[in-house]
Amino acid sequence: MDAKHPLVTREELADLDFYADLADRYLAVDGLEARWVGFTKKEILPDRETAERMHYLVSLARAVEETLDSAFRAGHIPGTAFFGRGNEGASVASAMCLEDHEWLVPMHRNCGAHLAKGHPPRSIMSHFFGRADGPSGGRDGNFHMGYRPKRITQLISHIGTMVPIATGVAWAAKARGRGEATINYIGDGGTSAGDFHEAVNFAAVRKLPLVIIIDNNQYAYKTLLSDQYACDALVLKAPGYGLPGFLIDGTNAPLVHHVCSQALARARAGGGPTLIESITLRAAGHSVYDKFSDYVDMEHFEKWTSERDPIKRLDETLIEFGVMTAEEVAASHDKARQDAEDARDEALKSPMPDPAGLTEGVFAE
Amino acid sequence: MITYREALSEALWEEMERDEDVFLLGEDIGLGGGAFYITKGFMEKFGRDRVVDVPLSEAGFTGTAIGAALCGMRPVVEFQFADFVTESYKMIVDFAAGNHYRQMGPVPIVLRLPAAALVSAGPFHSQNPEIWFFGTPGLKIVAPTTAHDAKGMLKGAIRDPNPVIFMEYKKFYNYPVDDLPEVLRPAIPEDDYTVPFGEARTLREGDDISLITFGTTVLEALEAAEVLEGDGVSVEVIDLRTLVPLDKEAILESVKKTGKILFLHEARKRGGVGGELAAIVSEEVFEYLDAPVRRIGAPEAHVPLSPPLERAYLPSTEKVVEELRDLAAF
Repeated sequence: MDAKHPLVTREELADLDFYADLADRYLAVDGLEARWVGFTKKEILPDRETAERMHYLVSLARAVEETLDSAFRAGHIPGTAFFGRGNEGASVASAMCLEDHEWLVPMHRNCGAHLAKGHPPRSIMSHFFGRADGPSGGRDGNFHMGYRPKRITQLISHIGTMVPIATGVAWAAKARGRGEATINYIGDGGTSAGDFHEAVNFAAVRKLPLVIIIDNNQYAYKTLLSDQYACDALVLKAPGYGLPGFLIDGTNAPLVHHVCSQALARARAGGGPTLIESITLRAAGHSVYDKFSDYVDMEHFEKWTSERDPIKRLDETLIEFGVMTAEEVAASHDKARQDAEDARDEALKSPMPDPAGLTEGVFAE
Repeated sequence: MITYREALSEALWEEMERDEDVFLLGEDIGLGGGAFYITKGFMEKFGRDRVVDVPLSEAGFTGTAIGAALCGMRPVVEFQFADFVTESYKMIVDFAAGNHYRQMGPVPIVLRLPAAALVSAGPFHSQNPEIWFFGTPGLKIVAPTTAHDAKGMLKGAIRDPNPVIFMEYKKFYNYPVDDLPEVLRPAIPEDDYTVPFGEARTLREGDDISLITFGTTVLEALEAAEVLEGDGVSVEVIDLRTLVPLDKEAILESVKKTGKILFLHEARKRGGVGGELAAIVSEEVFEYLDAPVRRIGAPEAHVPLSPPLERAYLPSTEKVVEELRDLAAF
């Protein structure tokens, strides 16, 4: 811990206002000590190459999901769809810290993580459209997908189950001794599930190379945070497991990248897991069927989305510090939009699965 | 001859020597060698990273095994008792069983489940787990009854690219070899071997009634067949050995010969595997039947602890004899 950063008092934590308090600092928790660590935008800024990639991917995540949303309304998506609007920055900036040979264990608000890890938009579209050439061949849909060529696991609906799966992925990485690490995401609601506890505890006991990011987007479907947990911040669970933790503003993509890089480096070096609580706001319904204005505080929603949209913030930061020009930023958005629409158009030409294959592949040969 | 328990130990030991991706997860299996001492001495040989004492967290460590399997490792999970697998149900049924079908890769895990009743083990240490899994596609379910099969099938399960529900019977772990019927102690090969899944074993040939069983009740089946021989009735006894895949042909061929069939298992009759097998026989070889298809399984109750209750609950040789005589007279 850096001595220049003051310890956080109990009262300060209890009064924590995510909206106001995470603007230019993050909370680092180690053992019983929690400290605010201040930063300037400049010191967390990624290099130009990383920044350009980050910008394109964050924009692509939004473009892919907006394209999917309109495709759903046009009747191209069987079943339902879940989106990660508001989480694009954290999702992209964290997953792009992984090396190509490392595994990603995503959740269903991680379109950005899929894209950052290399899942092609064309494949994502086919999956959502239930097509034969999607990664599951139409056996599943929406964000219940993985992409093995890029080492992305599938996720199942049962919230919590993916943390133990990630622990196992991290186990394999450690057992094989190649210095690999993995990232797994869970929601604020998911931290209430027993699996979360069982897996984080085991990962901590065995010092597995795992970074767990709690995407605290302030709603678990229609349940308020105050009905989900009683602690002042979810990051405070970290010391209970003997782990370090960080509470960060998940709408600040460069900050997410900065903190995740450190956590992954620690994991790869044998230092064990890190718990990161990333604060965002789910800027859409739980699913396309969810009328969220029924239960979301819309005043808070409007204020947050107008001031803390991760894409707008990234645009402003990169332009402000001269990493990208306004023209380059606009071109990056245009390319992302075009790539998403091209992917959709191509995927809509893909064949639907053949019912003759219904019972194939139940077992591996 | 070695015991069933020793056969399981040998299989694990040899597979761990053969393939360094094979590792064991379970409660108390390392330092303590496991509740039934199947892995006694393993940690000294293979180390604590391959013989893993896990925190008390069945869902967590089952998920961990699945995650490692996704990355190509070959985890073998020991449940202290089969009953505790309900903690891990979603991990097995929802994740592991369907992952390959969803084109997300194979999940080569073995779930070792010490199953079925042992004297007065009570409602949470006596259950037969196949009824919880039999309806789920993508899971292999095996039930070795001899030391030979225990060793060969565990090796086969570890080399199988699919999740395998490996039921092992506590009753047989330390069963004195000399007390077993001859047919339940086949010689164990010196060399490496596996027992293929989906091949039933005929324990006793017969012409009048087919008695199809698996698991602990092979003992009652053989005893009852012996009694019926005294009556002049010839009973064919078949040990299914694996439920998924199922050796359907062995069942159908036998009943075509005898015309009468009785399914016997320790698990409850309602929802038990015998119901599905009886339906298959009725659908496919009805014209060969000379009597109604019969089933014996436990009654509609939870496994009780007190000796008289437990005796009444479990299928007994007397119940099997009674049912066979009834069929013979039909």
